[in-house]
Amino acid sequence: MNALENIVFLSAALATVSGFYIQAQEYIRSMVRGQFVQAILIAATIFVLAFVESSIDLVVLGLLVLVLRGYLITELLERRIPGKGSDVKEKDIGIASHLLLDLVFIMIGTFIIYSLVFSRITFSIAGSIAGDTILVFPLALFFQGLFLIASRNSTFSQIIGYIEEENALVLFAIFLIPVPIIIEASVFLDVLALVVISSFVVLEKFTHNPMDELRG
Amino acid sequence: MHIFPYLIIAAPIIASAFYSLQPRAASIAAGIVDILLSMLIYFQLPFHNIFYVDFTSWIFLIMVSCIYLASTLYSLNYMKDIQARGISERTYYTLLNLFSASMFFTLLMNDYGFMWVGIEATTICSALLIIGEKNDVSLEAAWRYIILVSAGVAFAFISIILIFYNFHTLNVYDIIHSNPTDGLMGRIIVAIALIGFGTKTGVFPVHTWLPDAHSEAPAPVSAMFSGVLLPVALYVLYRIYQIDPFPLLYTWFAVVSIAVSSLFMAYQKNYKRMFAYSTMENMNMALLGFALGGVGVIGALILLITHSFAKSGAFFSSGNIMKSTGSKNMDQVSGLWKGMPWTSTSLVMSSMAATGAPPFGVFIGEFFILSMLAGRNIVQFSIVIFFVMTAFIGINYNVSSMVFRGSSDSREQGWLMAGTAIVCASISLLIGILFLGGYMNALV
Repeated sequence: MNALENIVFLSAALATVSGFYIQAQEYIRSMVRGQFVQAILIAATIFVLAFVESSIDLVVLGLLVLVLRGYLITELLERRIPGKGSDVKEKDIGIASHLLLDLVFIMIGTFIIYSLVFSRITFSIAGSIAGDTILVFPLALFFQGLFLIASRNSTFSQIIGYIEEENALVLFAIFLIPVPIIIEASVFLDVLALVVISSFVVLEKFTHNPMDELRG
Repeated sequence: MHIFPYLIIAAPIIASAFYSLQPRAASIAAGIVDILLSMLIYFQLPFHNIFYVDFTSWIFLIMVSCIYLASTLYSLNYMKDIQARGISERTYYTLLNLFSASMFFTLLMNDYGFMWVGIEATTICSALLIIGEKNDVSLEAAWRYIILVSAGVAFAFISIILIFYNFHTLNVYDIIHSNPTDGLMGRIIVAIALIGFGTKTGVFPVHTWLPDAHSEAPAPVSAMFSGVLLPVALYVLYRIYQIDPFPLLYTWFAVVSIAVSSLFMAYQKNYKRMFAYSTMENMNMALLGFALGGVGVIGALILLITHSFAKSGAFFSSGNIMKSTGSKNMDQVSGLWKGMPWTSTSLVMSSMAATGAPPFGVFIGEFFILSMLAGRNIVQFSIVIFFVMTAFIGINYNVSSMVFRGSSDSREQGWLMAGTAIVCASISLLIGILFLGGYMNALV
């Protein structure tokens, strides 16, 4: 494994670890900053791949991740944190139990899908920079995002869970085959617009719990 | 060069630009223009360039343009005196137009990637429409819609990546017409799409946003959701299904979804939620038709176009009742026939149409699908026929109780709202009669 492969593996693994970090936070600002770090790691991975493949498209993609996910979305979310931003946290969440459940969920989700489905197909990874086992990282991050949405009841956590899912898809696409940049850019704008829409809901409703009117 | 697709997408976007001038008149004009253009495009069928329009997508275009106009007309009175608004009336019409434009975009594009983008855009444009009548429940419903649908549709993007990986193109026409069946990879693509796009289509178990959003949105928005948004998502799912048909998986998911929706329908107290589950049942019946292929596809198309008018009629009628009685609870609504004869007629006709009573078009569609299913899998056929009958009895019993039992001092809410509801319900009957007439002629 050469140095570039090591860097790609490391940044992809760290992006997944940042997902665990976010899951372990109860303060909203820490979660938002965790999302920022995740975006930077993904951008770094894309830039390394862009260097290996001498691809302008990947450079543009990396810049998009940096600007839209790293800067704009982080800024947007931080500004929406109510009151004294640094003090706002989710109440009544069991961090330890959630992390344990999270691990079980990810292990089961990732390894079932990977071993039953993906391992049966021989994927050729972009630039042949790494073996197709690297697909485990975006899969794990995807399930991590899903678990964050399912396990938390604040609007912020659920938005960040959704962004994590989208980050996982960016990783998955660049490892497998980068989709045309115009489509990737449209996806980025869609996600940005969705975060903007969600930020309206944040103003009105901070937490989401079961309601009798919406039962059944 | 085919100019109509550009114009169809542009008309509602241009209407949105009239935000501060005449948003209502502009929206109606855009609706009329879109109906005319959708009809005219028929004479150019089929064609494919950056757009892909064939008879199937044309049927969907007609549905979207008609229900877009009907919902805009109905909104004129409905949205006028809403007490607690989540969004201003101008924003409402702007979002309604953009919502329609995003559906046209999804239907017309000849690229799986842009179809995905279009589906995501429908969520963005329609999410705030749910809080047209703002309260804590509608906010929660809107949030569930945003997060559940977005999370589900994000999953569908994996199938888009895999399509590009496998075919090195996302061109819908090229992929479908290259006899692309490709074993395991094709199966993975259509299976992931089923879960991903199935979230928006209302496939069990990823349907949970559907009854919440339908029941809490303003009536014209519910009509758009039920009548056209879900079918548009189903259209995308069908286009991916065509890559490598996997009937066993799709039919079982559809059969289980029909069963679950019928069971949930049976014990609803909220009439809008009941119609929402009915939509889920109809969408999965159409999915069943698409999965079976052949006559099943024809059945699905007849079902979908009739359903779009029938369910719009049902939700418009629900809106009239809600305005008049102030309640969504069936136990608190009775004797509608005396005070609201037009709304009662449209409600009864719509519920009969949606549940597949003859001679409404849904009956013909279901007949084609079920006759195809009977020849393929008798177990699935038996399950579906049982639950379709359960749904038929459940909905029509509840609607009859609301209309004919007891008395009330409810009153019609103006000719436009009652008229739109009854016109939609009548069109669903007309489609059935015309089709039966044509079919009989062909037999003779």
